[in-house]
Amino acid sequence: MILAFLIAFPLLNLGYRFLSLAITTGVTAIALYGLGIQFGQAGIMSVGHAAFVGIGAYTAAIVAGMFGIGFWLAIPLSIVMSALCAGMVGLPSLRVGGQHYIIITFCFCALLQIILTNGGTFTGAATGLDVGSIDHLFGINFDQLRNIYYLVTLVLIICLVTTYLIINSPYGRTLRAIRENEMLARAIGINIGLHKIGVFMVSGAFAGMAGILQAYYLRHISPILYGPFPSLYLALMIMLGGSRLIYGPLIGAVIVSFLPEIMRLDPIDSRIAYGIGLLIVVLLLPGGVSAGLLDIYRRLRPRSLK
Amino acid sequence: MPALEVIGLQKEFGGVTALAGVDISIETGKIAGIVGPNGSGKTTLFNVVAGVYKPTGGRVLWHGKDITGKPTYEINRRGLARTFQQAMSFSGLSVRENVQISYEHGRSHSATSQRKINWSSPDEILSFVGLDRVANELAGSMPFGNLRLLGLALALSTNPSLLLLDEPAAGLSENESEVLTNLILRLAEMEIGVCLIDHDMFFMGALCERLIVLNFGTKIAEGPPSIVLNDPSVVEVYLGIEK
Repeated sequence: MILAFLIAFPLLNLGYRFLSLAITTGVTAIALYGLGIQFGQAGIMSVGHAAFVGIGAYTAAIVAGMFGIGFWLAIPLSIVMSALCAGMVGLPSLRVGGQHYIIITFCFCALLQIILTNGGTFTGAATGLDVGSIDHLFGINFDQLRNIYYLVTLVLIICLVTTYLIINSPYGRTLRAIRENEMLARAIGINIGLHKIGVFMVSGAFAGMAGILQAYYLRHISPILYGPFPSLYLALMIMLGGSRLIYGPLIGAVIVSFLPEIMRLDPIDSRIAYGIGLLIVVLLLPGGVSAGLLDIYRRLRPRSLK
Repeated sequence: MPALEVIGLQKEFGGVTALAGVDISIETGKIAGIVGPNGSGKTTLFNVVAGVYKPTGGRVLWHGKDITGKPTYEINRRGLARTFQQAMSFSGLSVRENVQISYEHGRSHSATSQRKINWSSPDEILSFVGLDRVANELAGSMPFGNLRLLGLALALSTNPSLLLLDEPAAGLSENESEVLTNLILRLAEMEIGVCLIDHDMFFMGALCERLIVLNFGTKIAEGPPSIVLNDPSVVEVYLGIEK
């Protein structure tokens, strides 16, 4: 049903604005699935996730500018680059945990923004870099917004399926074991350090994919897009939507992107609304909106089916 | 050759000496017990052997190979499993998923030849320890006795040849304690070595073939329970000197 809706969405003809909002939401959701695995399964929060989206975006823009590598060939480069950086930023997590690590992710994000702003012509400094358009593939013209929408939707579905497979695999169970009790996980033979770095790389890979999509959709990227503030928004979305269930990140991205638009809130009002929303979710729905919906569904279902 | 050999093991925390040169050897298929008053270094001994702490001195040999200071997961993968005093579990997951995680790691890390039992599924382990009826419950919502059994199940699923049990009977009712005793006896029949720590002398005396008594980080007695429990130095540690 959700799939059908995603495909039919552009046909509703809600206009250019809603379509571009849907693309932004899709790109955000792709990045969020990475954070969803990292936070929901392995239990490690990050408030610097946008940094890895940025590394993916800048990798794509730089290889396009310097070597003329187009969108399709840059995809693996962006993914690998983001994953490697995420793995490196993950190294301190072997020594510090919990809130301390969250601060490190925040610092990295702020640091990256400073580096990008002072990178001269290499990173385009504060004005950022221009990006070309996506090359035609199989005769599809990606200058049309609708086709970019379908591309993003396709990637989103791939991310959703990948997340589903990870959650239900022995790997996903291993991550949950680390989330629940590190000491016990070690005692049953799990190499915690390896899996922590591994999950950061998985998370970074999703972010890198989102980054390159964003770069080629916006056609222009700048450091402000990947600073601490966008990172906090990603963290907000994952907490609102819920990180443990498969639709959590998608719901989080949709709520945060569409709510101000539908309720016609200005940026200041919307921040207040997010704050209140986050408080309500934390107090009433600790598992996020997705877990809340599932709970309501279970309660409404006749008991005999249980 | 004994399975586990501890030679002159020392561990200091700051100025406190927890282990002052302990020598112990443990064979598989036998049940050995470590007793001693609080603070005598029993749990520290387990933690050093299992790789949680690095020792200040001495060596730990596993089938003749030096495993001193190896990481915990590595030691588990070689067939040396342990349980915790605090009855730990992956509390937010179901009982079955708890065991499944451990089972999957046991299967992928232990060589088929070194396995004492070839578990066919997580459910087989659950019914072995008697938790099959609560398999779908959340581990964290279980009563304490079941948590102890789950801790044992988790250690068992990693296919160990020697199990270190840290106070497995602490906090158990008489019934639960009996269930546990039978389980431990069955493990010994399966050629799995068991080494346990406990305070309950009746429980230990009935179960163990050999007792090791620690006091202030040194071994003060070792042998069959009947002899050790009548040893004057052991009586002194527990009851004080007769005047």
